[in-house]
Amino acid sequence: MTDLVRQAQQGDHAAFQSLYREHVGRVYALCLRLTADAREAEELTQDAFVRAWERLGSFRGESAFASWLYRLTVNVVFMSRRTTRRRAQRVFATEDPGALERPGAGRESNPGLALDLERAVAALPPGAREVFVLYDVEGYGHAEIAELTGIAVGTSKAQLFRARRLLREMLES
Amino acid sequence: MTDRDTPPEFRELLERAARLPKSIAPPRDLWPGIETRIAGKRPGKGERERGWLPWVLVPLAAAAILAVVLLGRRGTDERRGAWEVTRLAGLPVVGSSPLAASGAIRVGEWLETDDSSRAVILVGDIGHVEVKPDTRIRLVRAQRSDHRLALERGEIYAKVDAPPRLFFVDTPAGTAVDLGCAYTLAVDSSGNGTIHVTGGYVEFDWGGRRSIVPLGFRADTRQGFGPGTPYAEDASQALRQAVAAFDFANGGPAAVRRALAAARSEDAVAVWHLLERVDPSLRRAVYDRLASLVPPPAGVTSEGALRLDRTTLDTYWNTIRRIAWRRIILRGVRDIDPRTGVSR
Repeated sequence: MTDLVRQAQQGDHAAFQSLYREHVGRVYALCLRLTADAREAEELTQDAFVRAWERLGSFRGESAFASWLYRLTVNVVFMSRRTTRRRAQRVFATEDPGALERPGAGRESNPGLALDLERAVAALPPGAREVFVLYDVEGYGHAEIAELTGIAVGTSKAQLFRARRLLREMLES
Repeated sequence: MTDRDTPPEFRELLERAARLPKSIAPPRDLWPGIETRIAGKRPGKGERERGWLPWVLVPLAAAAILAVVLLGRRGTDERRGAWEVTRLAGLPVVGSSPLAASGAIRVGEWLETDDSSRAVILVGDIGHVEVKPDTRIRLVRAQRSDHRLALERGEIYAKVDAPPRLFFVDTPAGTAVDLGCAYTLAVDSSGNGTIHVTGGYVEFDWGGRRSIVPLGFRADTRQGFGPGTPYAEDASQALRQAVAAFDFANGGPAAVRRALAAARSEDAVAVWHLLERVDPSLRRAVYDRLASLVPPPAGVTSEGALRLDRTTLDTYWNTIRRIAWRRIILRGVRDIDPRTGVSR
């Protein structure tokens, strides 16, 4: 366990801020790709760090702090999906299909193929997108995804197959 | 698909996915918001804390958990035939009661909005339906295999993320069958309407007549006729008028010829639908026009198409719908040739 984590566990806000600076990019990227909504990703990134602070005492250093934080982030994203408030808000977010093609609105885009892939991933149906991001981008296994998201392992595999097929159709020239 | 049997053509895509930047800077500093929320709080002890819970508090904690579970379940409960509904604006009415904030709509109950109210219905755990102003809609069935609403009049926006054919909306002009999609469905006071698909595909059925409406397409619906021929969002007025005349006004061969003359490659979805609908004497002309707009893929012959062989028609459809999908989804990203679906 690093000194920063130990200090943060003792209630040191400055240490926790350093951890935030170190990991915010990765946490935000995860939230952005899982939601395809820049505004929601910001909100969830904040939720994830607040939750991390609230649960910091349960981190024993058995895994890397980063792994613990990213799993917690995935959990926050999926818990948020289950609330009425966010689902109702999503009515407005998804009514503009063009929004799905602009997942990175408000941030600098990556040039070339990376941009195409980011846009294509954002345009996937939510279930397929989430499994694709967790499996192919973040490197989680199906069993872990099932545990994190509450879906069956078979569903995770089916969604991955669907996501890859759709992406291939979108990107092949 | 397992890692072992990943086809080679996926590998490049997967390598690209794995190389996507793991870190993206948020557009603004999010720390101030976090700092405000954790101010004055000590880091939580998480799991460790629960071990020290005094035994006397256990019954209270159990009661609290039970209350939370019960409260959490009060909205959507498919076993009892009810879905959660939330007010978005104004004062929608469920059954005979105004909806103050959120509640449930039960099988058989109507949800009605006036000109200033809106609501959102959670479709079990597979999606949601936004109910627009001046709408009357009923929950018909709330089962795992059959999520069904009936839209009498007004407008809804539906978004569903589930396998095909689990979500249905009955209207006076037929039934919208979800094939994994998002769409707006409107019905006027005479039972006629329009469906506009903004994600995936919707099948619209009435009395054996079927239209498949893809992303970026619309179809008009008429009570007593069912769904009209789907047309692209950017279709010309001439094409729209021609298919409307053919579908709903006995336009006959003249209307078909006008539609064929107005069709672009982007309108192949409409022309494909006409193949099965026109008089056999016109079918050759429709097929020839379709073949000039989108070259038939391997396995599709004029003979098969003219005798409406299902496999032939489905093979052609898969090519046409895939081109249409790529054209819409990659709008602004790549310039897609509407004849072939590849980048220009």
